[in-house]
Amino acid sequence: MTRQAFLDRLRAGLRGLPASAINDIVADYDAHFSEGVAAGRGEAEIAAALGDPDRVIRELRAEAGLKRWEEERNPSAAANAVFAVLGLGAIDILVLLPIVLPIAGVLLGIGVAALACLGVGAVLFAVGPFVITGAPFAALVLAGLGLMSAGTCVGCLTTAATIGFINALVWYGRLHITLLKPALEPHYPAKTEVAA
Amino acid sequence: MVEAVQVQLKKGVLELCVLALLSRGDAYAYDISSRLAKGIGMGEGTIYPLMRRMQSDGLVATYLVESSSGPPRKYYKLTERGRDTFTAQQSEWTAFSDAVNDILGGAL
Repeated sequence: MTRQAFLDRLRAGLRGLPASAINDIVADYDAHFSEGVAAGRGEAEIAAALGDPDRVIRELRAEAGLKRWEEERNPSAAANAVFAVLGLGAIDILVLLPIVLPIAGVLLGIGVAALACLGVGAVLFAVGPFVITGAPFAALVLAGLGLMSAGTCVGCLTTAATIGFINALVWYGRLHITLLKPALEPHYPAKTEVAA
Repeated sequence: MVEAVQVQLKKGVLELCVLALLSRGDAYAYDISSRLAKGIGMGEGTIYPLMRRMQSDGLVATYLVESSSGPPRKYYKLTERGRDTFTAQQSEWTAFSDAVNDILGGAL
């Protein structure tokens, strides 16, 4: 692969990241080629030693996704980080899925239940006393208030748990960001080279 | 199996190796990557995502130096935090590798 082809593929693969980050990254690899050529290596040789550009792209994207989650705690950044980690496709992350999915499901379930509680409480509080006959006015109002505050409370706890859960995933993902096989395999030096 | 062990080992020590190289003097990425590729057989492209992460973690900082051949070079240097991290990781590594060597050597 030529220098231009490698850099074009890199730039295309990083699309969607902030422009300044893309320029920085491409400039780093461009400089790498310049240094290599100055050291007397061919472009194809340098590109081969850099490894599969798709692998490089996945690692850089994952890193960018995780960094964004650390800077802004919102659902889109969370989804971004989780998908970036999954995109690394490391086997031991896939092995985690049977553990991760039930936890995510339970969190989602509790979240929905909290919202429902809030909704039912609000209805009970606002219209209950006028619709339901045979129960004391104050009891209905207080039950409504109680349900709403319980819903809010569980909702907050679930949000905190979700943030903690995604942090744990991100931490785990980070352990896997550095070199996996393709970047490594073809370039393991012979023993004589190490000694030299 | 041997291969998988090697990958895991390298992943673990890569950051420590970069910290060690930089503790002996500032360097630019091509220099770091070719020394590590030669020393521990790391893929050359791996260094760039790692350097970006170390920079966002505040372990290294960059500065530009004019080069006689071509555009200015981006040099990396350890920050205060990077230096502390290196000291801590180095003693952890030494303790750990001594313990493993003891076991391999049959001392336990």
